[in-house]
Amino acid sequence: MDGKRHPSSFQQLEKLGEGTYATVFKGRNRQTGELVALKEIHLDSEEGTPSTAIREISLMKELKHENIVALHDVIHTENKLMLVFEYMDGDLKRYMDTQGDRGALKPMVIKSFMYQLLKGIDFCHKNRVLHRDLKPQNLLINSKGSLKLGDFGLARAFGIPVNTFSNEVVTLWYRAPDVLLGSRTYNTSIDIWSAGCIMAEMFTGRPLFPGTTNEDQIVRIFRIMGTPTERTWPGLTSFPEYKTTWQMYATQNLSSILSQIDHAGIDLISRMLQLRPELRISAHDALQHHWFNDLMPQQPQQQQHHQQQQPMMQPHRGYQQTVPSQQNYESY
Amino acid sequence: MSHMTNPLATPDQLYQRRSFSSLPAELQDAIIFSSQCLTQAAGVLLQLPQSATAQANVILARYWLVEPFMSHEFSDISAASLYLVAKLGPSPRSPRDISNVYTYLLSPASTLFRSPPSLPPLRSITSTTLSESAYQAFHSRILAAEARILYALSFNTHVSLPHPLAVTYLQAMDFLGVRKERIAKRVLAYLNTALLSPQMLYLTSQPNALAVAAIYNAAKDVGAKMPECEWWEVFDVDREELGFLVVGMRSVEGWARKMREDVPRLGQGMISRRTVEEEMEKKRGLGVGNGSGGGQGGGELDVEAEMARKMDEKMAEMEGVA
Repeated sequence: MDGKRHPSSFQQLEKLGEGTYATVFKGRNRQTGELVALKEIHLDSEEGTPSTAIREISLMKELKHENIVALHDVIHTENKLMLVFEYMDGDLKRYMDTQGDRGALKPMVIKSFMYQLLKGIDFCHKNRVLHRDLKPQNLLINSKGSLKLGDFGLARAFGIPVNTFSNEVVTLWYRAPDVLLGSRTYNTSIDIWSAGCIMAEMFTGRPLFPGTTNEDQIVRIFRIMGTPTERTWPGLTSFPEYKTTWQMYATQNLSSILSQIDHAGIDLISRMLQLRPELRISAHDALQHHWFNDLMPQQPQQQQHHQQQQPMMQPHRGYQQTVPSQQNYESY
Repeated sequence: MSHMTNPLATPDQLYQRRSFSSLPAELQDAIIFSSQCLTQAAGVLLQLPQSATAQANVILARYWLVEPFMSHEFSDISAASLYLVAKLGPSPRSPRDISNVYTYLLSPASTLFRSPPSLPPLRSITSTTLSESAYQAFHSRILAAEARILYALSFNTHVSLPHPLAVTYLQAMDFLGVRKERIAKRVLAYLNTALLSPQMLYLTSQPNALAVAAIYNAAKDVGAKMPECEWWEVFDVDREELGFLVVGMRSVEGWARKMREDVPRLGQGMISRRTVEEEMEKKRGLGVGNGSGGGQGGGELDVEAEMARKMDEKMAEMEGVA
């Protein structure tokens, strides 16, 4: 982050994608040969450095975790800003499209991804950061099966007392009902809702609530989760977007809609997809859920044997060994 | 990472800035004071919440801790800090709005740092709009200053303010048994005034300590009864730091009054780089580029020890009153 490095320290390779305010290229560090992702942000001639870029940099500099994509460096030149991230092979959306069976992934892969996703979210929340824009496109995957949270452009820090936030956050399909209803005092639970939607999508290969407008999004959620009332959700009628004209839908059985998910998985996802934010499970508690008990390292035989001795006690520690950090750095 | 704390200045940084700057201490003080006041005035005219303006004050102080004063125009750095903070928060302001407000505040029509303050004739306000080319020049200077600030602070734009903590602490202490508004107002006044402090209190102490010191001072002022015990320890503040801050905060008012008189004496209106250059030439024909950081060696330490002794005395005195 010393700014001494020059854009020419990196060889720019193919374009990886076009973000909301930036272009991402694959790059190679000319000195070390290390692969990186170069996020090029063009400085707007009217607004200067985009606030999304400033937020992303200031948060990512501090958030160092194995399930959060690492920001290596920032290069600031006169007309552009280049963020140097660790290289990841692709995102979850593309992974589902290419590796999935019509988009659907295998249960053990999903379990591993969900565990890593929740670990990353838990770390953010412990550090008082809301991601606010979790979606398959923002979850990066590498060839070792690691999943990392990326794109913190909409993330923001929260403290006490909680400020009111903008409700222009989170891509519609993964947006929590309280945000859709106009809440400006949302908290960590909005990221959990998104994680629940992503879990369902990995099983079915299709987005769970693919709404087209704010109103349509709300209706799609109610059609499955049931239309709430003041009785089931005290305070509901005070939301800015509350409508007396909502059709009353009965709550569907999630296991009949998501028949691919086993009993324990349904239990977890239904705790994540609670309409009322205060009832949604926290990332920390979700990581303790028994659905993760059989999470086994897909690693060499003898290690697996060793792990089997205490999988019920230490499911996550067992898991961590599938993504040893040394291996991650071997390729650099 | 914590969002309740701030990155603090190291003693070395404070010493370097004071001793190795090409500007004498009183000019540094005048620049900081006038720029902080300018930022506050602009925040008011832009109708920004005080939380945003206060953050801009802290960003400004952090910037000048690590960057030389004379590299950008002072008012540009003030405008860029405010623009940057507003952009990151819930109430962004357009470069055009910023430009209008700063053009007015720097014009003869504004009463900021102009004595005697007199109501400007109405027509002079219309003369404070910039030409399009002047606006474009201002705009690109602000964006350049913004980039410079971000670089200097390595994008650490987060500022944790003591104000909300102070209110929470007051609630925890039941407002010390006095009328809520009365003591809370006084506490916030101390916290806002401390933003102007030449001791850069927001760069040397964490928000919890600033909040506790402001409550201590406010309680004294309104005659509220504080708990008998060492209550500040509940809020993780030790007696020594509290003593330093209590004295530091109390001294700002008198110092600011003196500055209010000194700054207009340097020239009409807000201090600019040109004012400073002229002032430096007056003084022994000294150019700004020349270093004036003559080492005083041991003398400096004695002064510091003397200061510390005085503060301890004053603290003990105030304790005695309680």
